[in-house]
Amino acid sequence: MAIDSTKIIHAVMEGSRVRESKGIMPHFGVYLSLFSVQYYNRLSFDFEKIIGPHRAAEAQDLLIKTAQECGYATFQGIRNSWEWDEIVKPMIVRKDDQIMGFAAVAVAFGWGDLKVEALVPNEKLVIRVSDSYEASGYLKDYGYAVSAKCYMLRGVAGAFMDLVYGEAYPEGCFSFVAKEPLCRAKGDSYCEFIARKSPY
Amino acid sequence: MVTFDWKRELDRRDHQVVLSGQPIAIHCHHYNINLQKTLEDTLGEEGIRLLYKSAEEAIYNDLTVLLEQYRELRTVKSKLEMASIVYQNCGLGIIHPQQVRSSGGYIISPSSHHVTGWLAKHGKRDTPGCHFPRGWIAGALAVIFSKPIGHYKVAEKKCKMMRDEECVFYVEEC
Repeated sequence: MAIDSTKIIHAVMEGSRVRESKGIMPHFGVYLSLFSVQYYNRLSFDFEKIIGPHRAAEAQDLLIKTAQECGYATFQGIRNSWEWDEIVKPMIVRKDDQIMGFAAVAVAFGWGDLKVEALVPNEKLVIRVSDSYEASGYLKDYGYAVSAKCYMLRGVAGAFMDLVYGEAYPEGCFSFVAKEPLCRAKGDSYCEFIARKSPY
Repeated sequence: MVTFDWKRELDRRDHQVVLSGQPIAIHCHHYNINLQKTLEDTLGEEGIRLLYKSAEEAIYNDLTVLLEQYRELRTVKSKLEMASIVYQNCGLGIIHPQQVRSSGGYIISPSSHHVTGWLAKHGKRDTPGCHFPRGWIAGALAVIFSKPIGHYKVAEKKCKMMRDEECVFYVEEC
């Protein structure tokens, strides 16, 4: 059975309208929050700016690792949740289908229109996004970039592979590493993320 | 009485999630707390300022748009109520304004996404850690009292991340 993204999006939207009396939103095995993409973009891009151009690579690395570690914990929580068992698991036939399920949840979370373009099990994942909030936010506030800017999605692409093909949780984080050779923020027509096994 | 139609306000525009027409992202405590820790560990006070200012600016813009759509909300009390509902409905927790006036006041938060997330991931802190809620409150109050952004300064006097019973925020004019 193919992954039904619409069903997953619907489930996330319904769930995100339900919260308990303390204003906390426990859903899909994690505590969710809804907040402006402007906040997340400002944090990332001003962090880079403050740290300075001489340490730009370090800033990017920290942001990608932060996202990968988060993606690893988040999607582990998600795939162990009752919502995943009820909604997504029945659509999963092969282990690889989990990646499609993760991508559908990321779309439901408003991170962009993720499409899995290619998946070579245990080797390579290619995801394309024509409207990531990171690239759109960068373009809007800063104009064209000289390097790719979707740090969150880059970390998340690595985390998807870590969870499915890395060692059992929690040992498998950073087994894979993703690059973003194409990014709308630098004038490409879409963002592309390629995750492969980490050489380290 | 004005009804805040959350189902209408929280919607999708193609692949985007929008709140009152403004693009938002759904993130979980792992990401929010990891970002906070990365910024604090790497930049120290400057990282804390960035967390505060980013939250202040974002809610200032979003709440301005939201209140324009609910022009029947005229009193400060009703606007404060609206802000508290938005905070709660965004999964950020509970805030109770305590005699808040245009000159400032106190806000008490018995429950918070950032506190729950921080304690789950890192346990007790030795210093107050609700930088996002401080910025959020500063930005929201500036909109409610029709002040420019940056008008209010919010300090956290008690913090549940330090195992205080509740978070207590003190608001004053800059």
